[in-house]
Amino acid sequence: MTTAGRRVLPVLDDTPVDHAAAAAAFNADEARVDWHDTALWFMREKRDHAVDLVAEWEDLRELASRIKEHTLSRLDDYLVEFETAATANGVHVHWARDAEEHNRIVHRILEERSVRFLVKSKSMLTEECGLNAYLEQRGLDVVDTDLGERIVQLRHEHPSHIVMPASHLTKEEIGETFAEHLGTPVGGSDPDMLTAAARVHLREKFLAAHAALTGVNFALAETGGVVVCTNEGNADLGMALAPVHIASMGIEKLIPGVVELPVFLRMLARSATGQRVTVYTSHIHRPLPGQELHFVIVDNGRSAQLARPDFWRSLKCIRCGACINTCPVYRRSGGYSYSATIPGPIGSILSPGIDLAKYSTLPFASTLCGSCTAVCPVKIDLDTQLYRWRQIAMDAGLSSRQKRVGARVGALFLTSRPALMFAGRVLRMMQRLLPRAAMRRLSGAWGQDRDLPVPPRESFSAWYQSRRHSGGPHDRA
Amino acid sequence: MSIALFVPCYVDQLYPHVAIAALHVLEQLGEIVHVPAGAVCCGQPSCSAGFERMGEPALNSFARTFSAYDHTVVVSGSCALHVRTHAPHLGAEGRQVAERTAEFCSFLHDVVGLDRVATLNATLNRRVGIHIGCHGLRGLGLASPSERQIDPFNKVRALLETVRGMRFAAPTRPDECCGFGGSFAVAEPAVSAKMGRDRLRDYSNADAELIVTTDVSCLMHLQGIARRDSVSLPMVHVAQVLAGCAESAT
Amino acid sequence: MTARDAMLAAIRAARPEAVPRPDVRAAVAAFPAIVDLGGAFRAAAEAAAARVISGRRADAAALIASSFSGGGRHVSALDDTTVGSTRQLPHSFDDVELFVCEAELGVAENGAVWLPLSRLRHRSAVVLAQHVMVLLDRSRIVGNMHDAYTIIDVARDAFGAFVAGPSKTADIEQALVIGAHGPKSLTILMLD
Repeated sequence: MTTAGRRVLPVLDDTPVDHAAAAAAFNADEARVDWHDTALWFMREKRDHAVDLVAEWEDLRELASRIKEHTLSRLDDYLVEFETAATANGVHVHWARDAEEHNRIVHRILEERSVRFLVKSKSMLTEECGLNAYLEQRGLDVVDTDLGERIVQLRHEHPSHIVMPASHLTKEEIGETFAEHLGTPVGGSDPDMLTAAARVHLREKFLAAHAALTGVNFALAETGGVVVCTNEGNADLGMALAPVHIASMGIEKLIPGVVELPVFLRMLARSATGQRVTVYTSHIHRPLPGQELHFVIVDNGRSAQLARPDFWRSLKCIRCGACINTCPVYRRSGGYSYSATIPGPIGSILSPGIDLAKYSTLPFASTLCGSCTAVCPVKIDLDTQLYRWRQIAMDAGLSSRQKRVGARVGALFLTSRPALMFAGRVLRMMQRLLPRAAMRRLSGAWGQDRDLPVPPRESFSAWYQSRRHSGGPHDRA
Repeated sequence: MSIALFVPCYVDQLYPHVAIAALHVLEQLGEIVHVPAGAVCCGQPSCSAGFERMGEPALNSFARTFSAYDHTVVVSGSCALHVRTHAPHLGAEGRQVAERTAEFCSFLHDVVGLDRVATLNATLNRRVGIHIGCHGLRGLGLASPSERQIDPFNKVRALLETVRGMRFAAPTRPDECCGFGGSFAVAEPAVSAKMGRDRLRDYSNADAELIVTTDVSCLMHLQGIARRDSVSLPMVHVAQVLAGCAESAT
Repeated sequence: MTARDAMLAAIRAARPEAVPRPDVRAAVAAFPAIVDLGGAFRAAAEAAAARVISGRRADAAALIASSFSGGGRHVSALDDTTVGSTRQLPHSFDDVELFVCEAELGVAENGAVWLPLSRLRHRSAVVLAQHVMVLLDRSRIVGNMHDAYTIIDVARDAFGAFVAGPSKTADIEQALVIGAHGPKSLTILMLD
């Protein structure tokens, strides 16, 4: 399998993302697409096996959905409750309206404590805020400790998936990176060997870190604590060893209390990887003596999404990645084709809210098959939201002139029977008279990989009409 | 009860034999079927492309045309879903039409009933792969989707089980999308075609001799790819099997 | 206006119509219960790559000794002589080969054990040690996570974790690798 060829890279500036073009480039290497598709489908299958063992799965989904909707409908109250409880526990609680403010707050905390070296566990929020680059520009050394994130960090790449950041890379490619940066044998690609090398490398980092930054899976309003879920224990290694722990969280991470927590914990890992639970489910309430604990609560566009009647339910997301794994389009176009912090179906309903002009093609990167909606543990109506974003994108004039004209012409033909009959006759005639190669060229994007149907002698309308005239039993009204 | 048949635009023009078969099946079952000329299109193509307002006249025309009937049977899962989802927004008449609109297979299964369908005495000695279009599957509940933890059911399979000689092939991915997706087929041709190729391969590897589908759009897409890639795997609509004309289909 | 006030105001203005808080307790009461708690726990723990050894409480010391053959530094949260003062730096457990502690409870549906700080004595030892051994009273195994949370008091200790098996990753081509980056093995001594 070749790893050469045009690589699909994410678009990092304001340039509108052309998902279709990026997806086409990704599909130039069909063997690689098959590899990527198979790997992600395997995750969907593991999820299915895990879910099959939970008889009450659909009840859990309904419960989780209602809990999140309830929480979002009273989010300000819960945030105040959370802050009060956390502060009483000795936690420093900070508020950040946007990415820039978040980064400044984190930087200030670190600067004030002369932190030069930070270890970080998985946090899509900090990815969204561009925290690493911000801190590195100011002279700090930041090490991502989740293995997948460390791999992409060493390669100066971005995560391509929210749960499996390096799922776009083969073990050979990872081996090359480790040979270059960790001194593993050139050409070595055994996952056990590579992981063992990463373990040694990262252990040094954990022991040397001045501060640890983690994400938050769930924030408990009732107790003021946060819950962090990992398989590698990297968040715990960071938190346990560094004197300063900063936990960054989006406002939507809140849930009311302890009784709600297990509803989500029972579904998170099963949805993400097919495990019954992550190896570590850590509950952090108070700093230990000699330690400092900070929570940074971040908006960065979330309250704007909350205000959108059609889209606020996207904030229910618990970042499991199940929609990404099941999406037949994601599996065959890769995470980078979305050029967004979060790719796939959930990314396609979050990103247009952040920058409609940049991400207007994402809602169209879908057949609206509904698989994402069916796997979502919190019952986000993903396919409905994708459909609604399409309307908004077209209303905002973000279609090509060609598409708009085509749609108008199409609508005309599809409301007039005479027009449709005419178009059909023309098409059938062309198919009969023109050579196949010419039809292929004329049929544009359809004809790239598909033939047109064999032209029938007459349309159903014509057949029905003649049957009626020859004494058929029924009218045409 | 009065029954009307709605034949979607592309079925009317490119796959008339599917509509003819659907009409025959209903008539063989003793139903009197009206085929009013008023509605050409349900409006879904415009809506799925993001131009809901452009699709409204078509949907209005559909609602007006079919308001007089007790049941409107649609030879397409996508169109039926579109009408059922969006016609209620037109008002009382739209709501009524939406409730009375059913996709062909669901009509046969839920309203006509399997016992009556069995009286068609259809025969087809083939190992078939059933392909239920996603909108019919997850949108209209034609079968239990593989993602859900619910008691399994499959209305389309139940219908086809009344056909003597029929055997079933099981693809490894029970209900993955074929990749048509309406405007997606031309907006994202690379992924669309790749999805179709993969679906075809899954059916071939499962030793399907024939694909039987609920949606002509899926059929058009998969058949187009099969022809281009010289993959020999015939495809028909459920109606053609029940009408006994699947053998002659390509 | 502070960021806090601005954010709370924005959220208050944006929030949708009130959705009632569902009655979780009533809903979960209807869920099917696991019958063979010990058997289900063992199966789930082993599925998470933990090793499960059954025995009697009276034989605990002998079981600990016989279940781990490696040398090196052993630290036990149950033994004041090895666990040392709480003023030790977390880094001081870097060379620990085996860490032993006792869980407050176990969860049959997923093979996880609840380890609050009071049982761990130190937060870092359980993730720095190369190998971890956890004692679990069989009578303290509950059915599912809902059951667990009705018993434990998550906010009582500064820190607490559910741990299910040794650390692991599948970030390299989905190949499962045990021992990244925390302990390489987890042994559960299920005691009667």
